[in-house]
Amino acid sequence: MTDLLHIGRDVPRPDGADKVGGKALYIHDITRPGMLYGAIKFSEHAHARIVRIDTSRAQRLPGVRAVITGDDVPEVRFGFMRDNLALKKGKVRQFRDEIAAVAAIDPDIAKEAVDLIDVEYEPLPGLFTTADALADGAALIHETDPTGRPVTSNLVPAACSHRSGDLEAGKRASRFVAEGHYTVPRIQQASLGTAGCIAEFDLNGNLTVTAKTQIPFLAQRDFTNALRALGIKDKNVRVVVPAVGGAFGSGLDTHAYEYISILLAWHTGKPVKILYDRYEEFAYLSPRQSAELFIRQGCDENGKLTFREIEVTQDNGAYVSWGATYPNVMLVAATSLHRVPNVYFNATIVYTNNTYCQAMRGYGNPEVTWGIETNLEELAEKAGIDALEMRLLNCNQPGDVTPMGLNLQSCGLRECLEGTAEALDWDRTRSVSRRPGRGVGMAALINVGGGGKIYRSDGSGIILKLDDFGNVNVSYGGVEMGQGLHSALSLMVAEAVGVLPERVIINQTDTATAPWDVGTHASRGAFMAGNAARIAGARLRERIFALAEQVYPGEVERNLAALGEGEGLDEFDFRSVTRDGFDLRNGWLLCKDAGDEPWLRVELGRFLRAAHFAKEGGTGTMFTEEAFYEPPTDLPDWSAGYGNMSAAYTFGVQGVEVEVDEDTGEVTILRMVAVTDGGRVLSRQAAEGQLYGGIVQGVGYALYEEVHSSEGRILNPGFTDYKIPTAADIAFPIELQWVETNDPEGPFGAKGLGEAGIVPTAPAIANAIYDAVGVRIRDLPITPEKVVQALAAKVGE
Amino acid sequence: MGFEYHQPSTTAEALELVARFPDAEIIAGGTDLMVRLNKTRRVPPALISLRRVQELTHIENGSGLRIGAAVPLRDVATHPAVAAGFPALVDAIRVFGSPQIRNMATLAGNLCNASPGADCAPPLLIYDALVELRSAAGVRELTIEDFILGPGATALEAGEIVTAIRVPPPPPAARSIYLRKGRVQMDLAITGVAARLEMDGATCGAVRIAAGAVAPVPRRLPRTESVVAGAAAGAETWARARAEAQHEISPISDVRASEQYRRHLTGVLVERSLARLASTNGGGT
Ligand SMILES: Cc1cc2nc3c(=O)[nH]c(=O)nc-3n(C[C@H](O)[C@H](O)[C@H](O)COP(=O)(O)OP(=O)(O)OC[C@H]3O[C@@H](n4cnc5c(N)ncnc54)[C@H](O)[C@@H]3O)c2cc1C
Repeated sequence: MTDLLHIGRDVPRPDGADKVGGKALYIHDITRPGMLYGAIKFSEHAHARIVRIDTSRAQRLPGVRAVITGDDVPEVRFGFMRDNLALKKGKVRQFRDEIAAVAAIDPDIAKEAVDLIDVEYEPLPGLFTTADALADGAALIHETDPTGRPVTSNLVPAACSHRSGDLEAGKRASRFVAEGHYTVPRIQQASLGTAGCIAEFDLNGNLTVTAKTQIPFLAQRDFTNALRALGIKDKNVRVVVPAVGGAFGSGLDTHAYEYISILLAWHTGKPVKILYDRYEEFAYLSPRQSAELFIRQGCDENGKLTFREIEVTQDNGAYVSWGATYPNVMLVAATSLHRVPNVYFNATIVYTNNTYCQAMRGYGNPEVTWGIETNLEELAEKAGIDALEMRLLNCNQPGDVTPMGLNLQSCGLRECLEGTAEALDWDRTRSVSRRPGRGVGMAALINVGGGGKIYRSDGSGIILKLDDFGNVNVSYGGVEMGQGLHSALSLMVAEAVGVLPERVIINQTDTATAPWDVGTHASRGAFMAGNAARIAGARLRERIFALAEQVYPGEVERNLAALGEGEGLDEFDFRSVTRDGFDLRNGWLLCKDAGDEPWLRVELGRFLRAAHFAKEGGTGTMFTEEAFYEPPTDLPDWSAGYGNMSAAYTFGVQGVEVEVDEDTGEVTILRMVAVTDGGRVLSRQAAEGQLYGGIVQGVGYALYEEVHSSEGRILNPGFTDYKIPTAADIAFPIELQWVETNDPEGPFGAKGLGEAGIVPTAPAIANAIYDAVGVRIRDLPITPEKVVQALAAKVGE
Repeated sequence: MGFEYHQPSTTAEALELVARFPDAEIIAGGTDLMVRLNKTRRVPPALISLRRVQELTHIENGSGLRIGAAVPLRDVATHPAVAAGFPALVDAIRVFGSPQIRNMATLAGNLCNASPGADCAPPLLIYDALVELRSAAGVRELTIEDFILGPGATALEAGEIVTAIRVPPPPPAARSIYLRKGRVQMDLAITGVAARLEMDGATCGAVRIAAGAVAPVPRRLPRTESVVAGAAAGAETWARARAEAQHEISPISDVRASEQYRRHLTGVLVERSLARLASTNGGGT
């Protein structure tokens, strides 16, 4: 498509006004008749045997309708390794383990009842570091696997490694080598809207769960399995997603609280709502995994990369969720950020008695990019080569197939590097000797931009339904969670069908009406929805144009009767236009080869009504089309770390200028630049929103954020001591530039943008700090204290 | 959750209510109290609000200032007499919470909450502020040192409320400042330092230095003060003050910062505040 009418425009998001005006219904706003409130009793130990649970006092509290423990209900197993139980039995493995639950007529009574549950524990020694958990003779956190077979270590069986080229040969060919240990902490998704759900059975035994989730269809499958565990077969599970106030990965798995609300609803026959407050969100939801990375890279005398070696150890916590699969995504940057011929990557995931971890924006990529892009600058310095020059020298090119088998059909990394350097005035601002205390730095990124295949389908379905008035009602299985999916999708549907974007109506997902979708993650929503919309839109147009052969002449005659005239009527035979001769633009059915005369245009709604309420003899026609788009990608072989897991790859570079106060260690960001190749920009506002939001989150990751814990207990469960940047901290300009490569697989040439923003921010800042004051911080977050210590160590050297 | 909510309009009425409901909570801006009630899920029998007590809503400017216990911080910071005579207090309020918090929170509430890091305490310490307490039995005045007894502990007695904070007029030539550091803009202090300096030519005259978040209570640093008083204004003196302050304080390690960094940073802020005061005075560096 060459003449795009809406793509790339700067239009306000369709869901914006209702969200700002308080009209959008979040899980917090929803109640059901007769609804009860659930509350959960959490463990008071990180690792202990449960000796006895006494719920009698809780049972007696007026207003309590049910108190359940793992012994009262069938065992509901969940998690992708099925190592987690909705209500724990026998043993707790982390502070947040769910031991019992209450349903009561109001939330305060429910919480009061939870406080009345007495649990007797027999404490076990806890394992809080990966080293302790892997030590010889360490106690086993899970004594058996989910099938009951004994295990021999605390390793999570999620192997992920990669070996390509000849590492030893790469090392021999190296003139310079840089190596180091880099760490990233556990951090919180910190969504504005906290977690919650309502579970409800109808009188036929069908279950509806209103859930803050990013995976309505995988949740439907998980909840169906839970029903099976309850002995309920052949019943429907419907997942309805309310307005979502940000999820950032926290909705990528199903959670114990959801199963518990199902259990309580089943037990009481009433709808049961469980809603986390901010404390619970911090204390009882899974954060992003912490990781330790060892990275070694080499280059020849000219700065060409010769090899890259990465060893990752992740503290998984007590149960397995998607956090354990970060290494799968780390492989993308590990093997394919910059051209590097010989690569070794290996990841070890370890069970501990810390809080278990899950997905978060970027999914392993910010972690591994933190190591690669800081280490690369250390290598450049050793080689005496400017870091920008080194990146340009090893830059990915369009058409490259990388060591992991990633097929880089479009790649604007070079333009991103050059654009960032120009915006920072790199040649004049880089180098500590020029401006003491001030420095500039940059870091590059590659991210999946066309889905990320980690499940047997990475596809999405869409249904486009035209109503009698020319509106397009869209059912899509992905979730609008604040990222702007509906902005981008309304433009793409408008373009694909030929209507105005304001005539596109997109409802939040309901599994009862929307077609299957794997989930909204991996920056895939707009890419998949757009491709599905393109297919469905083309089918709609085809059918409309076919029917227009019959309907159009009559409608034109009505035009002529109403207008009383028709300019050019003699020259154009409107009665014999064939299907190839029609066009649909902005809601008007037109003839391609005729002028844009009023008598020749038929408003889409009128056409649809004519088709629907067919004259005598005809059959009525409605226009609804569905399409399922499955991207042309591979499910990688994780033990070999090979496979083209995404249909497109997003690139970008962030540049930053900082000032470092050498006395206090404070880092002040003066400005930031992000130049991004996300293919064609779909909705300018949504694209900018994703980048700004990602960068701000990246600044938090770089400078402030860390879930502190002591022996498994979280020490800062709230915004008082878990600091994220506010507007007052982003007191610097952020300049965004776009390199609009036109990706051949992307919808209208677009690639995913949801995660790119957060990926390179931390290394860009660290590199700028090094440029400013000559200290290299390898552990996030870069607190003033760490800077002061590093400066003192430098003086001591 | 339900409790009685009282909004007395005179001090006498307020004191009567306080006597009648010994377990009631007094609420001024509520920015500490509501957080605490939510956290502990405690339901007090009654809340007694001071916001409508007429006598407590004014700032009187006579010989020094008398700041009513119900005046929100925003009004304190924008009062011309505060800006003119007590700039360290304005500095503290400027970094205090957010605009929403400053619209609600009070000076008295900040002191009654008795946090080691209460931002208004160091400025009030260097200004020799007095806390005016009232009960059915009468009025008494305490210094900040005598009022804040430990983390969360004050000299308030049953039946007593704080009615005002009194600040004597500042010496004519004194300059003052409050410097504070947090992890982000909206944060509780890692450390905060207030300093007041009078210059005697190129020599430092009377000096007061107080710090918050570095000891169980906000406190003056007399040993550091004595390093400065009478010494030649200049980098050397400021550096000695920095070193002394680092030793004089007794901070703890917590998730906000380590003890070591708090010592380091407090020293830096002492040095910086003195250097800035001396330079605005036209003396020293
Ligand atoms: C988001 C946020 C940010 C904050 N930022 C800061 C900050 O930067 N620096 C800082 O120091 N603090 C900060 N605070 C803490 C708080 O705002 C201050 O301590 C504030 O000054 C408290 O005043 P208040 O009027 O709201 O007190 P309240 O909450 O109303 O009362 C606090 C306590 O004092 C008692 N009390 C109040 N007034 C009287 C009185 N006249 N007589 C007797 N007892 C009384 C109450 O019973 C209660 O126990 C912050 C709080 C929040 C929620």
